[in-house]
Amino acid sequence: MKAYVVYCHPDPDSFTAALRDRAVSALENAGHSVRVADLYADGFDPAMSRQERLEHKAPPAPPPDIARYCTDLQWCDALVFVYPTWWSGQPAMLTGWLDRVLRRGVAWELPDGASRIEARLTNVRRLVTITSHGSSKLINLLEGETGRKVVGRAVRVLCNRFARTTWIAMYNVDRSTDADREAFLDRVDRKMHALWPAPTNRAAARKW
Amino acid sequence: MRVVLVVAHPDPDSFSHAIAAAALAALSGAGHEVTVLDLYEEEFRPAMSLDERLAYHGDRPILDPTVERHARIVDDAEAFVFVYPTWWSTMPAILKGWLERVLVPGVGFVFDEHQRVRPGLTHVRRIVGISTYGAPRWYVHAMHDNGRRTLMRALRLNTGFSTRRAWLGLYGMDNCTAEDRAEFLARVEQRMRSL
Repeated sequence: MKAYVVYCHPDPDSFTAALRDRAVSALENAGHSVRVADLYADGFDPAMSRQERLEHKAPPAPPPDIARYCTDLQWCDALVFVYPTWWSGQPAMLTGWLDRVLRRGVAWELPDGASRIEARLTNVRRLVTITSHGSSKLINLLEGETGRKVVGRAVRVLCNRFARTTWIAMYNVDRSTDADREAFLDRVDRKMHALWPAPTNRAAARKW
Repeated sequence: MRVVLVVAHPDPDSFSHAIAAAALAALSGAGHEVTVLDLYEEEFRPAMSLDERLAYHGDRPILDPTVERHARIVDDAEAFVFVYPTWWSTMPAILKGWLERVLVPGVGFVFDEHQRVRPGLTHVRRIVGISTYGAPRWYVHAMHDNGRRTLMRALRLNTGFSTRRAWLGLYGMDNCTAEDRAEFLARVEQRMRSL
């Protein structure tokens, strides 16, 4: 399987960075090929420009700063988001990545005469979110879990119609212990290994 | 009331800016004191930087003069009015980044001794959201209208439950007529006059 990990956190020493490392190594150990986008390291500009907005219904070829993201999005079988939840959703950097990279011709198409957009990311069969919340699950439910719904609904409708979504979330990180965080890293590892059906080859299945 | 009007659209000729202008006129006409924050015009930086992130758990961790100016305006605010186009079921990145960078501990909320979040915007008595949607209303609901929930729920947890909320949405904008838009502007003006 081909997995595309979109990672977003300003601090390379953060817990989110550790989550990314664990997810990538688990995917690689399971024999998948992995590509990673690190939005802060790339210096990605999250604000859609006026020009892009005016052209969004008939866009030209993607500009150089997002061309690679578009290629990798169309390449992958699994799309994995790794980010901290801020204000109940994705950080602005990742919100802007969705605003700018989910372009017409890349993620969706509007055929002549159609009233609704058509999915173009039909290559994406797994949609995974790995995130941490400073506050509790209860608070996030009260806030409406907007980050979860952005991926599970707004992005999901652009993917393969049979795409499965996987939500891997840690709550109460602000009050967590090292042991809690270690247990969550192990959970990420297990979930990533189980992401794709077990190999049909018996020897490989036993090893797994 | 002292009102902060936050606008997030890259195109100054957009319908969002027409809404903001109508809201500003109606609010000023009703005697409110309005401060407009046009995030694109100010070239507001949406992404929280590494230094800001590292300072975040301190007291009022503001490192940028623009953010400091906005935070002072927020400190005095009695009402928030947000105007933005909904993209991928939520607000544009520049507005999400504004929440993240301006409403930091000491401005938007405070951490108590157990690291729990407590409201910091109890002086804000009204939150109004005005958004335009390309999709029809049923589809917006199916997508969970995440921008609306961020402002009406997540933000309101930090203003307190006595804060009153209002939402004005223009749905199906991709197929709407000039009359629909004019009618919507009239609705915005009416709602703003009765704030």
